[in-house]
Amino acid sequence: MSSLLETNKLTIHFGGLAAVNEVDFTIDQGETVGLIGPNGSGKTTFFNLLTGIYKPTGGEIRYCGKNMVGLPTFKIAKQGVARTFQNNRLFLNLSVLDNVLIGMHPQQDSNWFDAIFRRSYVEREIEQGVEKGLELLSQFSEGLLTNCYQRAGDLPQADRRKVEICRALASNPKLLLLDEPSAGMSPAETEELMEDIRKVRQKVGEIGIIIIEHDMAVIRKVADRVIVLNYGRKIAEGTFHEISDNELVLEAYLGREEKDAQA
Amino acid sequence: MLPRTIGRAVILLAVEAFFFILFAAFMKTDETGKVIAFLLFFIGLGVMFKKWEKARLTLTGLFKELKIVAGAGFVAMLLTLPFIFQASPYLIHICVMAGLFAILALGLNFQLGSTNVVNFATAASYGIGAYASALLAVHFHISFWLGLLVGGSLASIFGLLLGIPCMKTKDYYLSLVTIAFGLIVYILLNNFSWTGGPNGIPNIPPPSLFGHSFKEPLSLFGYQLPFQSNYYYLIFLLVGGSLFVAHRLHHSRVGLTWNAIREDEIAARCHGIDVTWYKILAFCIDAFFGGVAGTVYSHYIGFISPENFAFIVSVVVVTMVILGGMDNVFGVIIGAILLTILPEKFRAFEDFRVLIYGLIVVTMLMFRPQGLFPQKMRIYKK
Repeated sequence: MSSLLETNKLTIHFGGLAAVNEVDFTIDQGETVGLIGPNGSGKTTFFNLLTGIYKPTGGEIRYCGKNMVGLPTFKIAKQGVARTFQNNRLFLNLSVLDNVLIGMHPQQDSNWFDAIFRRSYVEREIEQGVEKGLELLSQFSEGLLTNCYQRAGDLPQADRRKVEICRALASNPKLLLLDEPSAGMSPAETEELMEDIRKVRQKVGEIGIIIIEHDMAVIRKVADRVIVLNYGRKIAEGTFHEISDNELVLEAYLGREEKDAQA
Repeated sequence: MLPRTIGRAVILLAVEAFFFILFAAFMKTDETGKVIAFLLFFIGLGVMFKKWEKARLTLTGLFKELKIVAGAGFVAMLLTLPFIFQASPYLIHICVMAGLFAILALGLNFQLGSTNVVNFATAASYGIGAYASALLAVHFHISFWLGLLVGGSLASIFGLLLGIPCMKTKDYYLSLVTIAFGLIVYILLNNFSWTGGPNGIPNIPPPSLFGHSFKEPLSLFGYQLPFQSNYYYLIFLLVGGSLFVAHRLHHSRVGLTWNAIREDEIAARCHGIDVTWYKILAFCIDAFFGGVAGTVYSHYIGFISPENFAFIVSVVVVTMVILGGMDNVFGVIIGAILLTILPEKFRAFEDFRVLIYGLIVVTMLMFRPQGLFPQKMRIYKK
């Protein structure tokens, strides 16, 4: 079985700095992979490479067996790669429901001509979209469902994350990239978030999820496998327990014990 | 239930009639003092409306409940306007110009309001439409009605040509490209010999419909209406059509996608939106509206020169959209009407016109960036 997504020596240089350096990575259908590493280790850059926001300077990305390097972002998204953002990029002046509806953009196909002259077609499309959107929102929280016409910018942080995940799921993605979903959340909210991620996996069994997270409790509970980046390189890979004993990882997070310095 | 509804409808129509009479009276005054008094009265009404919540809720509820009655009453009153201004063709002329600018502003709204593409080349598409149909009519005797389509389509093609280089840039730089484009069109119109250079194109034939030339006075129900009324009714239809198109586009996948691009381009890309294509689409539709307005203008006035399509026209249209309310189609029309009528009423201060436009933009952006009539959330029926 070929994997859902595979990178081969993926590299990007910003001037002299290799932000992501020869990273080999695979994820299978139905798998949840945690991506961790200290600040500035290239995790978000890695996401930006996968979604085509940055063009890699070396290596390849294979998604469902096809090479994705050089494709524009919107085409990659259309093939089923959805993501959320570290700093939460909702469409703040649009309603919660509209945000989710935009997530369905790749599956809808009405154009300007339909909008003006084929109203019944457009209305059916909107109706189906609204129905699906409301269903998605209801799975995440009843509160969002009742406030679905609220301006997204007026929501508290935790709800914004939920809407962002709903928006990403609205496109029926095969691969979901979550960039620090628990950032800025209270422990209780984080708990709820993990529950949500589990729900997503139950509902869409074959979805692959890559999750960047600083909260190790989340990683331990959610991730099947963990990959550690440091200075753009992959330094370790394995289950959470294997990783937490790995010396290189401890060194990356805590620093080396200065034995040599004393000698 | 029925008598109650009729009662409510009567109240609604009375409110509309009150405002309509107020508007007509305002149009008819020409002393600066009285104009200012009227304006203060309108502002007072607006403030009262905002403060007095009960009245506001009752009125908006009334309008929502009897949407069709409200719309029909409004249309009927607008249709009687040429009869009221029968003796003063100048007032009808102002209304026609307000309608033309409403079309331009509705067009620009797709870009400035929906997509946040600040395009300063409205005058260029306006001019291209005007020149294209005027040249066709003068040299090839192509009828106005065909010219309307040709003018719009040609302007649309120019919109596409402008859109492509614009996509290489962003934000302010994009605006600069559109300003440059507007200036290029202006200079070309001034320097080509086949556009008549600075002398422009005189003697553009008026349109005619079923043998009735639009230059002739219009006889309706035994009344002789000045010839401007022909154009008033034509513009009325065109603004109605533009409103219809704008409204439908807003409430569709396309409008929603434009909004997404306005809010966050990168997030839009990550959700499968082809940002470049949608921006170019906005350019083309805007230019089409501009071209249509230009065609009507050239045949209405009968004479065009590059001065009619200078940079300042674009600035005025941008101001209209900002004042009226970005992305709110009704607000944009109100903005266009306000900014066409007020300068006419304050002819005494004509030299300060540009200064006042600048003031309006700065004040609006500082204190009410969403415009007089802000955009509302889309509500979907369940």
